[in-house]
Amino acid sequence: MKKRVISLMLCGTLGAAMLAGCGSSSGSSSTESTASQAGTQAATETASETGTASDSTTESSGAQDNGDYDLTLYSIMTTDPDFDQWLADVEAGTGLNINVIAAPTDSDTRQQKITTMLSTGDSSVDIIEINDEMSTTFKNSGWLVGLNDTVMTDDIRDKFPQGYVSQMITNNDGQVIGVPGYTGYLAFWVNQEIMDEVGIDSIDNKDDFMKYMEAVSDGSRYGYGGSWEKTYVFNEIAQFVNMFGGDYYDWTNPANKEAMEFMHDLVKNNETSLDQLADKYEQMNPKAIDGKYGCWFYWGTGSEYEAADMLGADKIHQAMIPSFTDDGQRYIFTDSWSYVLNAASTHQDAAVTFLKYMADKGGMEASYKYFSRYPARADVAEEVVPDSDPAKEMYSKYASECNVMGRPMLPQTMEFISAMGTIFQSYVRDEITIDDFLTQAQSYVEQYQ
Amino acid sequence: MKTKKSMLVAAWLLIIPVLAIRAFTTVYPILATIRNSFFDIRLLQGKNVFCGFENYIKAFKDPKVLTSIQFTVIFVVVSMLFHIILGVILALILNMKFKGQRFLRTIILIPWAMPAVVIGMAGKWAFNNDYGLVNDLIRRFINPNFNYSWLIYKDSARFAVIAMDLWKDLPFFAILVLSGLQFISHDIYEAARVDGASGLQCFTRITLPLITKNVATLTIPFTLWRLTSFDLVYSMTSGGPGEDTALIAYRITMEAFTNLNTGYAAALAVMLFIVMLVFTGINMKIQSKMSD
Repeated sequence: MKKRVISLMLCGTLGAAMLAGCGSSSGSSSTESTASQAGTQAATETASETGTASDSTTESSGAQDNGDYDLTLYSIMTTDPDFDQWLADVEAGTGLNINVIAAPTDSDTRQQKITTMLSTGDSSVDIIEINDEMSTTFKNSGWLVGLNDTVMTDDIRDKFPQGYVSQMITNNDGQVIGVPGYTGYLAFWVNQEIMDEVGIDSIDNKDDFMKYMEAVSDGSRYGYGGSWEKTYVFNEIAQFVNMFGGDYYDWTNPANKEAMEFMHDLVKNNETSLDQLADKYEQMNPKAIDGKYGCWFYWGTGSEYEAADMLGADKIHQAMIPSFTDDGQRYIFTDSWSYVLNAASTHQDAAVTFLKYMADKGGMEASYKYFSRYPARADVAEEVVPDSDPAKEMYSKYASECNVMGRPMLPQTMEFISAMGTIFQSYVRDEITIDDFLTQAQSYVEQYQ
Repeated sequence: MKTKKSMLVAAWLLIIPVLAIRAFTTVYPILATIRNSFFDIRLLQGKNVFCGFENYIKAFKDPKVLTSIQFTVIFVVVSMLFHIILGVILALILNMKFKGQRFLRTIILIPWAMPAVVIGMAGKWAFNNDYGLVNDLIRRFINPNFNYSWLIYKDSARFAVIAMDLWKDLPFFAILVLSGLQFISHDIYEAARVDGASGLQCFTRITLPLITKNVATLTIPFTLWRLTSFDLVYSMTSGGPGEDTALIAYRITMEAFTNLNTGYAAALAVMLFIVMLVFTGINMKIQSKMSD
């Protein structure tokens, strides 16, 4: 009898415990103010970590906890030492209480988590920072809210770089789906100490570039350095294709062939290292800082070099992109991380308030001040960035002297990037011929277009 | 009789919640995956149409998948072979009586206690030509001019991945073998020595036969873990160079969560599931024969 009573009590306890988690969330989602209660950061992070957290679970836990937050931001900047100050600034500027979830630092993991959140309609996150690869992938998926009528209205949209906005963050319906968080360039970086050592003043064209390669490369040091990991090398393949006047979507173009053979010859002549096939930027930058590379392409304003006390006109600095073609044209890629609004968000009003702030001077100034992110709007950059900032002069030159382009991306972005990187790695390791490479590259363009 | 029946009811009542949770978290996902494997589901294109066995046929023609299958077989066989050989040797060493034995038994488990992603990231740096621990040791003790980038060539990258896998899980395997060794009575060894058996004879005639079943049992989960391993490769090589170190579980993850080809990923997952079922069945049959 005693055992039976205990058994029934245990069953009852288990049943009650299970049912306790199935409470209705209607009460908490009835109004904006209660629905926005995302709960503690830990609770929300746990929900999003699973990647499959249902809306009701998140809302329910939020309602049980507190009403501190107006929206949840999924940010890539949380590891920045000034992040808390940036957040305080943005909260003061918007009047919002913002819950922040840290995005993974690893690019693959980050993209997978964001993809899972968006594709499953997870509403635990309202605003997400996404890069160009994700913008291209998601912009026509219906998972992001079009912002033409709320944030990126005609007057605001006109102040952003038009080419970038139309190529990278505008969907097939003409809706802009994000607010660019900054302007970045795939800049050409040189080590001035090495340039002085080999007696070369500037690298303006292909001949200068080749002379520099020869002068710098000695087996332990290389004229050119790169990040040729299979998902990273795409940037440099596309950059060299542009520099030779080619077309990334047409691998029958002779200029593309010339560009690939040029990169292959850099390896063959020991002017760049095959070791970099395993390198992402985190492996490339220490080598650049240690003086192993004479020049390289890299995003950003050089905060890594500044942290190593290697940024400056006499050390590592940005330089003008060399022109490899007879017409003297120079080509540079631009990129950004954009703030986008999750279509499943239940805090649309607060999210729009946040996005408006980020598209305006206040948000861009905060990003520049705390993260050294160069403002995406030229008018704001002119106002906010001091003349003493070396990036201002160089970015201004890039904008005026180069053909500024968005990177060539297709809807199945990562699959396409990875496929191209894989065959490039095979080509530079002499596993396939240049003709095999070109044939396969063209077939990938046709497959993924 | 009535008491027995009511006890049975109580028992079922107690396990029903567990069964319900298991059905929801395991049976349902398996059935959903099998169902999805017969559909061409591409989330980005909004495509979800029945395609029969197309995903399965495609898998056998996909060079990326074929490379993944090839490396997965190499990875599982080589890694398990070394797990068994080195694991038994390590267990025998740990079973000896010497000063610091307990300390050694504790610290060798440190790599096992670390997440595979951390091990992978450590491995990425350890095998770096310029800054890596491996080349640094070789330069210090063997050849000062040694230069080799392990992760850019197929064979060395595969070797590096297997080495890191062994570094992580071998101690755990050894500790489990050690637990089996400790069940062998010292009396047996003493009797053998009295009869004039050498150390090698004691090992081959006593130790090995008595731990064989233990090792065979351990082989099942350790092999299944290798078959489903993706995190090490994910953080260490991203499947590179090219696709040469992409394990099948890594390929499934990429197709499912990066490329969003859900149907194709489901077909690959079902194929892996069948392989695991067959392997487990064979292994259990062998164990049952050994018991007989």
